This record gives sequence, structure tokens and C-alpha cells, in this order.
Amino acid sequence: MIELKNVRKIYPGTTLPAVDEVSLFIEKGKVCIFVGPSGCGKTTILKMLNRLIEPTTGRIFINGDNIMDVDPDQLRRGIGYVIQQIGLLPHRTIEQNVEIVPRLLKWPEDRIKKRVVELLEIVGLDPKETAWKYPYQLSGGQMQRAGVARALASDPPIMLMDEPFGAVDPIIREHLQDEFLKLQQEVKKTICFVTHDINEALKMGDYLVVLESGKIVQKGSPLEVLSSPANDFVRRLLGDDRGVKLLDLTRIESLMIGEKSLPHNSEKCRCFIDVVKPVKMALEIMMKNNTDIVGVRRGEEVIGTLSWAEIKQHISKLSGDQ
Amino acid sequence: MKGLLLTKLFPLHNVSEKKIACLPIWHYNQKIRIRCTAFGLNEGGFNIAVFQFVFDNIERITEYTANHFSLVLTVLFFSLIIWLAVGLVISKYDRFASSVIALANIIFIIPSISLFGLFVTIPQLGLGRKSAALALILYAMMPLVRSVYRGVKSTDKSVIEAGRGMGMSAMQVLFQIQIPMAWPVVFAGIRITVVLITGMATIATFIGERNLGRLIHHGITRGNAEMIVAGAVIVSLISLFLDFIMGKIEKKVTSPGLKRNINFR
Repeated sequence: MIELKNVRKIYPGTTLPAVDEVSLFIEKGKVCIFVGPSGCGKTTILKMLNRLIEPTTGRIFINGDNIMDVDPDQLRRGIGYVIQQIGLLPHRTIEQNVEIVPRLLKWPEDRIKKRVVELLEIVGLDPKETAWKYPYQLSGGQMQRAGVARALASDPPIMLMDEPFGAVDPIIREHLQDEFLKLQQEVKKTICFVTHDINEALKMGDYLVVLESGKIVQKGSPLEVLSSPANDFVRRLLGDDRGVKLLDLTRIESLMIGEKSLPHNSEKCRCFIDVVKPVKMALEIMMKNNTDIVGVRRGEEVIGTLSWAEIKQHISKLSGDQ
Repeated sequence: MKGLLLTKLFPLHNVSEKKIACLPIWHYNQKIRIRCTAFGLNEGGFNIAVFQFVFDNIERITEYTANHFSLVLTVLFFSLIIWLAVGLVISKYDRFASSVIALANIIFIIPSISLFGLFVTIPQLGLGRKSAALALILYAMMPLVRSVYRGVKSTDKSVIEAGRGMGMSAMQVLFQIQIPMAWPVVFAGIRITVVLITGMATIATFIGERNLGRLIHHGITRGNAEMIVAGAVIVSLISLFLDFIMGKIEKKVTSPGLKRNINFR
């Protein structure tokens, strides 16, 4: 896990802190999203986690170790890093790009080769087709996949992602987001993710950190942030359609009734939906099939149920707050 | 016949004016003109005279060419070692960059003949190879140092950030990212340098180098066109040859990923 204690960053030549007294605890295996307008300090926070930027005051701990006590290069080799511009080395093939961190860690040759094939398959690139290509021969979406593969190469427990899907078009972005969520279900990394797109933040995050001029305005699950925005700034950031967003962007996971409900409920289910889909999709299926309960699946396995009652309760809770 | 007549009537610079007035005739004319020019060359015996001169003086010309070539290679060898290293150092330690590049510029604007002359007056250098080589090495500073500095500095920031973010040390970033990505720019500088040195080496004849410059110099003082042409052509051939070799090396060294225009595979 990652812990920030009173972290503050003042860039040389400026008086206003870019990051001001930020304290945060990020649990292992969760996706934590830093969201806010440009210049709110979200990228600065991210870069402080792998010491590309060092805090002026405050301490950062990763798995209990103060990162200032660790050699920065060693630290970074253990943290996956994906940036918006991707930063693939243009003079190296995709294979050589993905190999970078394992080579820095001096893995044996055969292990590296095996890992590259495995990684390209994980991110949905055909190893035979892409491994030998140079970055300029790939499309934007493929490049971003290669970037993710590269960051995953040494199987780091922590990933830092700085607007990773910012540079691709909306259709590809949505596709990559869905795949990312699916992938995260399998790999369960601790992920810090920076975005200025609130919809992306609500869709991807287990945990949101809303920032405004270097300060944390609100932190909490997407559900918490959506249903009870801390102030006008957060309300503006979320937009006026919070109710719809809630259904569109709340993952079934967060509303479903887990395994306890299965024995007596699962027989009632006539239709099923994947756990990472938004609640709106469940609603759609309920309406189409004229039922008020759907089974929730992860892969092939049924892991819970979601009923109209839960959704309604959820909506009324939200409108009650409004 | 009519064409020949026209060329005689209109000297060469008039032909281009004619082309607007009557295109077909100009076209016809143009063909004739080229034939006539070629004819004129042979007839005047100019071409033949140059070859004749080369054959008659083959020993002297071989010696001059060999001297020229070896001077250029020596200079190239030392300048690459020195200036590529200096270029790397200033791109690493930015605070020296502007003064080193300014120095290179200043050296470059000194008229070459005066710099050659200046070194001759230094007792340890004197007439001949040492002074010539030193002056040429100094002239190579500007294109080489600048191209290395620019090449390394122009590396895409996001690629460097990705490298740092993956845990490459500053040295690894330099050798695995910045230098490989700088090759196209660096080679442009190297190829300019090669042509520059080969041409400039001719001036070294005035400080006692027995090279192709001597052929040109004597040609001028004796009003002997064949000598000048023979010298100039051989100098150009050396330039072209070295440039060709450098091009081959560039192709070997530069990653295909950086040659976006070339369709490989």
C-alpha cells in the first residue's frame, strides 16, 4: 500500500504550493484516481510516488518504507509507469520496448522472451504480428497497449498511470478502459491513476481523490463522491446529471448483493450480466426481459445478484440528499 | 540543321527567354543545344585535355591524392573522437554548452588561410601536416559539437521521462535513449564535416602540404584549366566517396524505427 503524510511540493521560483499538505492512504489492490482540472497538482502527486519529483516536505511510504530511503532507480523499477504520451522508445521494436525493465533487472534471457510473449497477449496484441514492429508502425491504441505491457513487464505490485487513455479517440478509449478493468480484475495491482475526465474517474476508480489547487477537496469511493459532493467545486466537476451518471457509472460490483444472496436468489435469475458492467446495463437488461433481478457473473462464475429494489434504494438515497 | 542555326543565333541565355514565346521550338531547340554543347566540348578538346593531363602526371596526382586522403582521414579520426566526446559532455553539463558552442563558432569564422598561417608560426607545429591537421580539426568542431548537442538535446521529453520512470539511470538514458535517437542529426553533422574538411584541406597546400590543393593552386598561377579541373574533380570524388561511406555507416547505426520514410520489410 501507499501512504502520503502531509506531503507538500513548492516548485522553485513559486510561492504557491503545487501540492499542499496532502495525506492519503491507498490500499493494496485498489485503483485510486486523482481527478481535477489542469494544474491541480494531480500529476505532481503521481510523480512524487516514484520520485521523478521529490516532495518539499512530508513523507511518502510504500509498503511501510519511506521512499526517500530507497535508491530512486531501484524504486522505479518496481513501479509500473504509464504516461499519456506513452513514451515508447522509437528506435526500439515493441519487443525491445517491453523488455526494458526486465533487462534493467537482469532477468535471464529465456525468462524475458517468455514474459514478452505473455505480456503482449495479456494486453491484446498479437506477439507474432507486433513484436518486431517499431512504434511508428502501430496505431495509437496499439501503442498505448504496448505502453501498458511495458509497465506490467516486471509484474510490479504498483502502477502509476498519468492520463493513459488521454491521447486516443473516444471509441478506443472506452474499449481500453473496459479492457483495463477486466485486466485489473485479474492482476489486482495497486493503481494510481491521474485523469481530468470525471467520467473516466467514476468508471475506473475504487477510490477518488478530488483535487483543487493542490489541496484534496474530497476523497471517497465514486459512489460517495457522486451521492454527496463535498462542495460546489466537486458538484460542478460532476455536472448536473449526477443521478444518471450514478447509474451509468456505478459498477454492478458496488451495488450487488454478494454470495450471501445466492442460495435463495439465483434461481430467480433469468439473465446474467458481467460484474464490471455499469448498473445502467443491468437496468437495460431488466427492462428488456421484464424481470427485476439479474445474476452477476465474473467470467463464468455467478458471484451475486442485483435487483431493482437495490437500484431504487440507491436512487432514492441520492435524491434524498439532493 | 535548323536547330543548329537557331542555337547559333540565340546564345544560351536567350534560349530560356524563347521558351515562353514558342514552347515547341524551344523544346526542339533544347535538344539541339545539349547536343551542340557536348559536341563543342569534345571539339574544343577540353575533356580530352583533362584526361591527357591526368595520364601524363599520374605519379604526381597519385601522390597528391594519397596525401589529401590521408590528411582528411587523420583529421576525421581525431575530430570524431574529440568533438563527439565534447558534444556529449556539453549536453550533459549544460552550463558549458553556450560557451563551448560560441568558441566553436568563433573558430569557424576565422578565414581558413589565416588560421593555417597562424599555426605555422608556432615552432612546435611549423610547416606541413601538423599545422594543417590541427587547423582542420578545429574547423570540424562547429558542425560536430553542434550536431551532437542538438541531437542529444532534441530527444523527445516524454521518451526520456518514460525511461527515467522505468528506472533507467541518467547514464542509461543517455546511452540507451538519447544517443541512439540522436544518430540521424549527428550523422548529418558528420557528413557535412567530411565534405567541409575535404574541400578545406586544399588550402593546406599553402603551408607545405603536397595535396590536391597544390594542383589547383598551380593551375591558377599558370592559367592551366586542366590542372584546376583535375584537382577539383578528384577533391569532389573524395568528398563523395567519404560521404557515401558515412551514409552506409549511418544506415547501419541508425535504427529503422527512426527512418519513418523508408518502408522496410
